[in-house]
This record gives sequence, structure tokens and C-alpha cells, in this order.
Amino acid sequence: MEVIMSGWIPDLVTQLAPPAYLDPGSGSYLIQLLVAGALGAALVIRMQWDRIKNMFRRKDEKSSDPDEHVE
Amino acid sequence: MSSSSRSGGSFRDPSGFLFVRDGTLYRQINQIYRPSYDQLIDSGLYAELVALGCLIPHESAATPPAEPATASLVIQPEPVPFISYPYEWSFSQLQDAALITLEIQQRALKRGLSLKDASAYNIQFHRGRPLLIDTLSFEPYREGEPWVAYRQFCQHFLAPLALMSLRDIRLGQLLRLHIDGVPLDLAARLLPRRSRLRVGLLTHLHLHAVSQKRFAGAEVRSTERRGRVSRIGFLGLIDSLRRTVAGLRWEPGRTDWAEYDRMHNYSAAAQADKRRIVGEYLDRARPASLWDLGANTGEFSRLASSRGISTIAFDVDPSAVEANYRSVRREGEKSLLPLLMDLTNPSPAQGWGHEERQALVARGPADAVMALALVHHLAIGNNVPLPQLAGFLAALGRWLIIEFVPKSDSQVRRMMAAREDIFTDYTREGFEQAFGVFYHLHLASQIAESDRTLYLWEQR
Repeated sequence: MEVIMSGWIPDLVTQLAPPAYLDPGSGSYLIQLLVAGALGAALVIRMQWDRIKNMFRRKDEKSSDPDEHVE
Repeated sequence: MSSSSRSGGSFRDPSGFLFVRDGTLYRQINQIYRPSYDQLIDSGLYAELVALGCLIPHESAATPPAEPATASLVIQPEPVPFISYPYEWSFSQLQDAALITLEIQQRALKRGLSLKDASAYNIQFHRGRPLLIDTLSFEPYREGEPWVAYRQFCQHFLAPLALMSLRDIRLGQLLRLHIDGVPLDLAARLLPRRSRLRVGLLTHLHLHAVSQKRFAGAEVRSTERRGRVSRIGFLGLIDSLRRTVAGLRWEPGRTDWAEYDRMHNYSAAAQADKRRIVGEYLDRARPASLWDLGANTGEFSRLASSRGISTIAFDVDPSAVEANYRSVRREGEKSLLPLLMDLTNPSPAQGWGHEERQALVARGPADAVMALALVHHLAIGNNVPLPQLAGFLAALGRWLIIEFVPKSDSQVRRMMAAREDIFTDYTREGFEQAFGVFYHLHLASQIAESDRTLYLWEQR
């Protein structure tokens, strides 16, 4: 009963949106649940690292680093 | 009211479909999709993507819907002059199509929308660049849910690209066999073991394949479907896919055709004369569209495209098509589309009812066809009788610019060195007779310092 109740209101929301016609595949859904957390964390770290790199680049604007690529 | 016919490939999505009426292409948007369409417009995403050249623009249409019972709106998308399919694309074309899909998804997320499918058939090359043609691909983003199109993206884009890059370029042709993309378990089996060292491929192909197999047929509970992929997790997933796709590389190799330029039979004067004559023939025929068959890297295709003629450069060699596309991309050429095509086994009709993907011939005819340095490869190399060759080319276009390569030519002599000469009708007279059945001759010129002759034919 509890499981049914907790799913009820979100069900309504889904009904109002148009159905996704594509079969996403259960395995494809489940692996996303597994990896999204790690990939999200990796993205955040990468964004912070880019920010730190940019801070240093602004300080020594005169030194050119041809190996660095701005993403 | 004139009749409309629903487009062959457009039936899976209840959101709407394409139809043709009086020769114009329209898209019917069904009531069920209208709120999402409104959100696409109101959020500013439509304007943003069209301004960037990522999404096909459309106008509202005055015409009535094809199926009024379910319809909400009819729009008229800008037509794409030639529809091509992912199994006709070079490596970089498929890669660019993948990257634009992910870029569209990233921009959509910023405005509260998400792609509900990620099919390679939703991308077309238009004015030299890949863009999304399915305006109804967007749905509202519901935070917490995984990406519904993740499986499709991995099968349509990531798997074939990885196979082409790490195993063999020819594996791109698996897309012709598997119309919903390469199955992940197949890709995982065919990839070299070292592919597992790449985190992106390990995750999105190998582990993904394992998960698919393990949970095949399992029911995903509604709480699982909704609960656990945060927005930043979703963005991380998309970013990881983008980095994985962008990190795949393929360099056009030295194939028989790549060596062609070094070995070809023209002196500098002959080459210049051939270019002059082809230019003259193009100016005489003035076609609006042209198919260059056996175009190699597109040197002669560009004589047409630089005249503003909408040109498609077909070649059987993936290296040649790749090199050609890189030029198009680098130079920003808008009138040239390089495509992979084996004329002895061209793209057939595919999909449900043989109607979802069209055969090559069905996508013509072009105004003009160009067949330079080609005839001997088909007639002698592939034993196609000249009358049949003439009939095939006549179905493809009204005008024909064709180069006859006689047996005295050194390349033909090389081809026939180990073979018995069964080609009794392969002479200039035989050639002119075979083509004269379908065409009327305008001009013929022998190329300076060469045995070869250029012809300009027009269909009777």
C-alpha cells in the first residue's frame, strides 16, 4: 500500500506530459542510476579545476602557454 | 482539399508526423504534444538553436492537418534538399552529428527541456553542417529521471564511432544492417580489449551492454525511474558522452584511391584541359543540382558547387569521403555534401515496409550526373554492360557529363592485364550507341594529351 501511495502523485504528473514513445531499456536506465553520481561529481571537479586554472592564467597574462587548450 | 500522404518513416512517435501535400513537406503536431511544443518556443530554445544553425527552422502553415482528429497544429519545416543516412556518412560526419546531438541536449537542459530521442536519423546535413530536423524531439525535463534516449545515443552514435575508430572503418556499415543502431553487446564483442581502458567506452559501451543483458525484461519500478539521477548527474552523463565521442579519432589512410592522385593518368596540361571542358559543360547545362559519382576527394565536384550548384559527391572510399568532408567543414562550403556510396551496391530501401529509409534512386533524380574516370571501373572492373550502365545513369539525372576511358588507356590496360578480354562492345562506338538510346548528344571533346573523351548528354 505504502509503495503505491508514494508513487501516486508523481504518476499524475507523468500522465499530463506526453509519453516518451521510445523504449529506453531497463538496463540502460539502471546503469545511469549507477554512474550518474560519479559522472556528476567528475563534472563538478572539472569545472572547479578549470576555474582555478583560469584564475592563474589571468594573473600571468604575459606568459603564453601554447600547450593549453581552453575547453 | 487535395490529398496528403504520410511520410514513410514517420510513424513511431505519437507526437506528430511528416506528410506531403502538393509537393510540400509539412509536419502535423498532435494535441498530445502541443504543450511541449509551446514550451520549445516559449522557453527560447527554438530561437537559440535556429540562430546557431542546430535546428531546422519552420514556419506556421495555413494548410489543414492530414489527420484532423488528433491534430493541434501544422508547421512547414524548411526542406532539406537531400536526405542522407548515417551509413552513408564518413567518420567525422557521424562524429559531428553525435556532438551536435549532445550540444543540443546541453542547451535544452538549460531551458528545462530534454531530448526524448537521440536517433542519428534525426540529424541531416544542410548547407554543409549537421542539424536536428525533428522539431518534436523535445520534452520537458523532469529532474530525477534518467535520460530516456541514452540507449539510443549509445547505439546510433557511440558504438559505431568506437568500432570505426578502434577496429575497422568499414564497421560503420553495421548501421545499414541494424536500423536502431549497433547492439551494444555486439559492439562490446567486436571492440579490442584495450577499449576497456577508456573510462568512457568502459562505462557507456561495455558496462552498459552488461547492464542491458543482465536486466533485459526486468521491470523498472516507478520509484527507480523517478528518483535518482540528479540534474548534475545528468549533466555529468552528457558531458562524459561528449568527451568520449570527441576523444575518438580516425585518420584517412593510404588506400588504393588515396594513391590515385599520384598514379593518375593526366599530365598537368590534360588535367587543366579536363577542368576547362567540365566547366564549359556545366555552364552549358546549368543544372540546379548535381550528383558526382566516384567523386574521390571532390576536385571536380567543386567545379559544380563553386558555381552555386547543389552538389553531392559520392565515393566508395571512406578515406576520400572523409578528406572531402574535412575540406567542406574547414572551408565552410555550403553547396557540397560528400557521401559514402558503392555504386555496385547502393543504399537499398530499408526499414518497416521497405519505407523508412529510401533507396538511392528514390532520392533522385538530380538535374545532372557527373561520371568522370568511372565508366571503366564499372564496365570492366565490375562487368556491367554499357547499355545497363546507361539505363542506370539515366534514372539518376537529366544531364550527364561522362568521361569515356578507352582500352588503350594505361589504367584500363592494367585492369585487363590478368583478364581475358570479353569486352567486345567496350569501344567508343559501343559507348555512343549504348548511351544514344537514352540520351541525345550535345557535346564531345577529347581531353588534350589523353585518350579520354568527355561527353555532355541530355535525356531524350
